[in-house]
Parts: sequence; structure tokens; C-alpha cells
Amino acid sequence: MSDVQEATNQLLDVNLHENQRSIQVTESGLRSESEHLQVTIGATVPTGFEQTAADEVREKLGSPCKISKDRGKIYFDISVESLAQVHCLRSVDNLFVVVQEFKDYQFKETKEEVLKDFEDLAGKLPWSDPLKIWKINTCFKKKKTKHKKINQNSSKEKIESGRGDKTDERDVKKEFTNNVLDSQILDYYENAAIKDEISTLVGDDLTSCKDETEESSKEETDPEMLKFRVTCNRAGEKHCFSSNEAARDFGGAVQDYFKWKADMTNFDVEVLLNIHDNEIVVGIALTEESLHRRNITHFGPTTLRSTLAYGMLRLCAPQPTDIIVDPMCGTGAISIEGATEWSNCYHIAGDNNPLAVNRAANNISSLLTKSQVKEGKLSWGLPIDTIQWDICNLPLRTGSVDIIVTDMPFGKRMGSKKRNWNLYPACLREMSRVCRPGTGQAVLLTQDKKCFIKALSGMGHLWRKVHTVWVNIGGLHAAVYLLKRTPQTFVHPSEQDGKRSPCTQRW
Amino acid sequence: MKLLTHNLLSSHVRGVGPRGFPLRLQATEVRISPVEFNPDFVARMIPKVEWAALLEAADTVPKEPIQGYEHDERFLRKMHHVLLEVDVLEGTLQCPESGRLFPISRGIPNMLLSDEETET
Repeated sequence: MSDVQEATNQLLDVNLHENQRSIQVTESGLRSESEHLQVTIGATVPTGFEQTAADEVREKLGSPCKISKDRGKIYFDISVESLAQVHCLRSVDNLFVVVQEFKDYQFKETKEEVLKDFEDLAGKLPWSDPLKIWKINTCFKKKKTKHKKINQNSSKEKIESGRGDKTDERDVKKEFTNNVLDSQILDYYENAAIKDEISTLVGDDLTSCKDETEESSKEETDPEMLKFRVTCNRAGEKHCFSSNEAARDFGGAVQDYFKWKADMTNFDVEVLLNIHDNEIVVGIALTEESLHRRNITHFGPTTLRSTLAYGMLRLCAPQPTDIIVDPMCGTGAISIEGATEWSNCYHIAGDNNPLAVNRAANNISSLLTKSQVKEGKLSWGLPIDTIQWDICNLPLRTGSVDIIVTDMPFGKRMGSKKRNWNLYPACLREMSRVCRPGTGQAVLLTQDKKCFIKALSGMGHLWRKVHTVWVNIGGLHAAVYLLKRTPQTFVHPSEQDGKRSPCTQRW
Repeated sequence: MKLLTHNLLSSHVRGVGPRGFPLRLQATEVRISPVEFNPDFVARMIPKVEWAALLEAADTVPKEPIQGYEHDERFLRKMHHVLLEVDVLEGTLQCPESGRLFPISRGIPNMLLSDEETET
């Protein structure tokens, strides 16, 4: 299979690259060290979309990727100058810098011996370059928003006190723009000029940000007194130890080696110990909060990860001026991701539920505020609109939509499996009507695969299944189906009686 | 609701079919939201637009795309403004065949029909 071939080729690419890197490090000792540092970055991506993420990395960073056997992870090499751009990748959830990788680790027989080995390992790893990267990275990463439980009234007071009048807002903005020079990715919630409409999340974050700046200035005076934790992920059947045990003992040795302070919640450095069968990767986290929460401020009950939305959109390779519709948009995650990454297309998000439609509209206006503040752009608009409609009866012209991308109700948290038996065929039919014959495409995510395949089987004359991606959504095994619309024009049952006049032929 | 969206919308009241396009737009509150001008986008969008419908919705639009519009920046900017920057916040869309009114509120059109009105 060509996928395996490609993955093997990529592995070979990376191996070659690694040899080059070791030569480069010794050479760069003469120049300023941090400038020419080459580093291996690991990224977690939605399982099933490893190849899509690898494509994005190759396109935006020019680096080939190695796709790990440990599902949902990819690895690639970059030079440290590209670190800020890595945070701009749209298909990755979390990032880490690789300290060392063991492709075939030899575990000893007993638990005691294995854990002792982990303890000994801590002192032998090449920490210094990854730690340099970690330090440089602190300006680029999005700071974690601490979600404290503050009731709405008190947080509102905090926003109003001292920041209500115009002069204060301007000062904060100036301070803000100065900070832009230091950090390329700024937390949206650091802006004081936030409209009241935006949810209490903002109130919480404003107060926590104030605390954060106080904390970080304190830390600057004490650089070596870092706090850390070890997170261990273990997968495999033959291990005689648990992830907790490994984390505890490895962590203990790390603490002795660096004299850092262990803190499970309020840490500076997160050391990752990823064990997958015989493959071990030790890394240092570069993201505090998953990047997938980027676009959404108003969450709904089943909000799709933005990274997954990006993967789905990328699958169908949108072309400029494509009309892209999400007819069951929920919070609008897909259309919003589309409007930001594919702004030369036009996006429409629709749903029958007024709550969902309002959430989508709120998310769009949050996004507009954010881009206004962050980039100082006068852009008040994005190529996106929201409509309240019924998927089974779309108020759209026949054949006017180029791409349909949607997250179909699984029948678990939303709707029911029984309802799906009627809903899915009706959806597919209506989607085939509005989709442009010949060139149209649909990218549909669902966990109710059985129902979907059955619904699709009756529509071979309208839809052709081109590709399936197996994904994991919160533990559920779901699938993303890429469909192509056949050239056959949609014929409405009522139009078959020949009443149509020639001038409306195009319908 | 932007005018480009209006250009795609069609009434789906039972029995109306293609005569449900275009919806008659009545705007009571409009906002102009600046959007970054992308001449390539506008130039490529123009052939996809149903011109008569656009003309009905925005009377500042010329009767048809001018010759050589792809390179006429003034024309493209005008079309960019009409298609993407005019945002109808409050108003109604009316089915030209059945007269059914669909409200637009806070920029969002509500196109839901009751069960009797929808096609089987």
C-alpha cells in the first residue's frame, strides 16, 4: 500500500536528517549556539489525520514528517527560527520537543529493575538543547487560561473597576501592543476592551491573567527554581509497570538531577514520558493548553475540535471562491476554521437549533474581535454567514454549493440512533441536491457508520465514496467520509411529471 | 446576512421550486463591515453570481458586469463592497411565489418552515 511506502520513505528521510543534525550541532558550537539549533518536534494530532498533519508541516515548514506507530503523533525536524510558525499549525493539538527517542527499548524482567532503569535514565539524557528550546518557546506558547470559579457579578466588577473609562482602555491597549513584540501568540483574553456579550469565561480569564503577570515577574528573579511535573503515557500489553509508577520514579530522578520543585498543577516544565510498546520518547511540552480550542469561546454540547475541523476541510482541498456549507453547524467550528484558513472561499454555517445558531454567531464575533485586536486590522468581516434552517429542506439553490463539510449527529449526545435511520437518507438526498454536480464534494463525520453506509448505498447515482478516515472522537470510533458528487443532475420527484419549462432547465 | 448569501438562498415552500428564487429582500437595519479586499476572489465570484437577483437586492449594482471587469479595480471594489461588506442585520426575505416572509434578526435569517409548509 502506498501509505506504508510513503511512511517508510519518510522514516528514511528523518534518519538521514538526524545524522546531518549531529554534525551541525558540533559546527554550530563556533557560532551563536541558539541561532542554528536544529530540534526534533513531536506533535499530537487527531488520530486518523496524521497524514493530513504531515502534509501541512511539509507545506508550511518544509520539513518531512515521521508518523509514529503510536497513533496520533508525528515528528519532524526544524531549526529554532521556525518555532513560532510551529505554533501556527492548524492540524496539531499539542507540541513537545524531543529529548531522546528509543526505537527499541529493552525492558528488564522485573518491575523493580525497569523502574530503576528509568531512574538512572534521567541523568543520562541530553537535556540541554531541549531545555534551551523550552526557554525560547515560553514567549511563543499560548498561556494557559486558569478557569477559576468566580461568579458573574464579582467578575463584572473587576472588569469595570479601573478599566471602565476610556483613558484606561487606551493605556492597556498600548501596553498590549508592546507585548506583541515579545510574544507572537497572545492570549485573546488579555484584551481589556471586551464586550459584555462574551461569556463569563472572559471574566475569569481577566482576573487570572493579572495574577499570571505578577507570578511571572516573580519568577524572573529566580530562574533556576523551576517547577515541573512528569506526565507518562503508556500503551502496550507487555509492560510490567504502570504509567503512574514510571512517572513517579522517573520524576524523582529528574528532581534529584535538576533540583527542581515538583508541582503537579502549577508547573513550568512538563516532562513527557511516552511509552508505546518498545518505543519510548522523552520530551518537554511546548504547549500548555491544547491548540484545538483556538476559535471557540462559546462551547456547545458537542463542539468539534478545531484541529479536526481543519483536517476535514483539508481533505477536500478547497479551491478559491468555493462555496462551503456546514448544514448542521452546531457551534460553527468547521465554518469558522474554514473562514480563517481558507478566507478565499465563502462559508455558510446553518443549524435548525436557535441556540446553536446563536453560539455560532457569537463565536464569529469573538473571532472578529480577536483578529481586530491581535492584528490591528480594520477587518470587521469574514467571508462567513450564519442561517437558521432545516437540513432536510435547505433554502439553497439547486447545485449552488461546492463543498459540504459537517459533523453529523452521532445519535449519542445529540439526537438518537433511531432518528438517524430517517435523518441520514434525508440529509444525503438534500445535500446531493444543493451540491454542484460533477465537481461537488462532501466531507461527513459520523460515528453511526452502519446507518450512514446504508443511507449511502441507495444513492450511488448521486454520491461516490472516495475515501474514509478512521478517527477517534472522545473514545468513540468514528469515520470521516469523503464523497464526490456524480455528474448526474438532481431530479426532484415532482419535476418528473414534465411540467418544467425549458428556461428553468438549470434547476 | 451578506448579499452573497442572499444570492444563494431560495424559497423551499412546498410546490414553489425554482420560482422561489430570488427572495425579495427588505432591510430595516444594515451595517457596513469592512472586509479585506481580494480582487482575485471578486473577479472569480462574479461569473458564479446570479446577476438579476443581485440587481434586485442592491440597486447600486450596474445592469450587468462591465466588459473586462477582471482588470477594472474600481468595478471590483464596488462589487466587493456589495457582495461582502453590506450586512443586513434586521429585515425580511419574502418568497416571490407564495409571499411567505422569513425574518432576519441580528444578521441571521430564520428559514425554518412549519410542518404544513414543507415539501414531503
